[in-house]
Amino acid sequence: MNGEALLSDAGWSTGSIWLVILIGGALTYLTRFGGHILISLLGTIPPRASAALDAVPAAVMTAIVAPVLVSGDWPERVAIIVCAILSLRLPLIAVVVIGTAMVAGARALGS
Amino acid sequence: MAAIRTLLPVLLAVLPFGLVYGAVAVQEGLTVLQALGFSAAIFAGASQLAALQLMGIGAPLWSVLLTVFALNFRHVLYSASISRHLGAFSGGQKALAFFLLVDPLFGAAEARAAKRRLTPAFYLTYAILMYLSWQLATLAGASFGELIEDPEAFGLDFVLPVYFLGLVMGFRKRGAFYPVAGTSLAVSVVVYWLAGPPWHVSFGGLAGIAVAAAIGPQKRPAEAAREGRAGGAS
Repeated sequence: MNGEALLSDAGWSTGSIWLVILIGGALTYLTRFGGHILISLLGTIPPRASAALDAVPAAVMTAIVAPVLVSGDWPERVAIIVCAILSLRLPLIAVVVIGTAMVAGARALGS
Repeated sequence: MAAIRTLLPVLLAVLPFGLVYGAVAVQEGLTVLQALGFSAAIFAGASQLAALQLMGIGAPLWSVLLTVFALNFRHVLYSASISRHLGAFSGGQKALAFFLLVDPLFGAAEARAAKRRLTPAFYLTYAILMYLSWQLATLAGASFGELIEDPEAFGLDFVLPVYFLGLVMGFRKRGAFYPVAGTSLAVSVVVYWLAGPPWHVSFGGLAGIAVAAAIGPQKRPAEAAREGRAGGAS
């Protein structure tokens, strides 16, 4: 298949591909326990750092979702806001199902 | 079981993503084994796709590795936060828990830890099933890539944003939630617009965390309630 040529044309040997896999995996693992090491080195966590850590989930997950408001089309933008309101009352799984159905429905009608 | 119930909606998004990754990897010229190698060693879809893209345009090895590291840097924040909830884990369980720490798992584990003690059974069940699903989806995508129908038609690309949104809303009773989330939202949108993905996650996240640090410790109703009924809950 023509795919075979792509990476070797770009100068990638089998060995260098496996090097990316192994070192990339090691670097990723480093990020996954790095925060734990930093916290352990600190010993006791000062209150201000603790407040910062408590904010990690809300801060990071908000940052993951935010681009939907600018990158998506109108159905996605409307759906994410409706889902934000729904999640004040409904359980997570219900919100996921309703939100996905809204977007799928809008696309089916639009195409 | 709670872990499986929490994981099921996420798999709706993760399985098609893994299929797409597997198909793209083989089209770019990886063997099925190499495509699986990426999924097994790195286990982070966005950085796997970015690595493929850079390799395909002949970028040097160091820049591919730097990109993988930069894309995955947000995990440092996850592991710093989640490490405070791993009291019930042995050393080996912690090593495994960190290896498998992906975005939805982080969200689910934090949401769980806010309500009750985070157990190895919950965390590792979710983590291992997610890991195996990612490998199987990669294998299927790499083997039968051409058969995939458009997952976007079913809105499956929207599952993860809504899932994260729902998790975020679950944290709204924490002190300083609105300034933190508002700042992250604004910075994320601006960085997404200026620099593009994936930088919006790290910068938006760091901005919100900085606001929380500036505001400092606050009384948290959820924490107080948890302390109130501690003992019977776990």
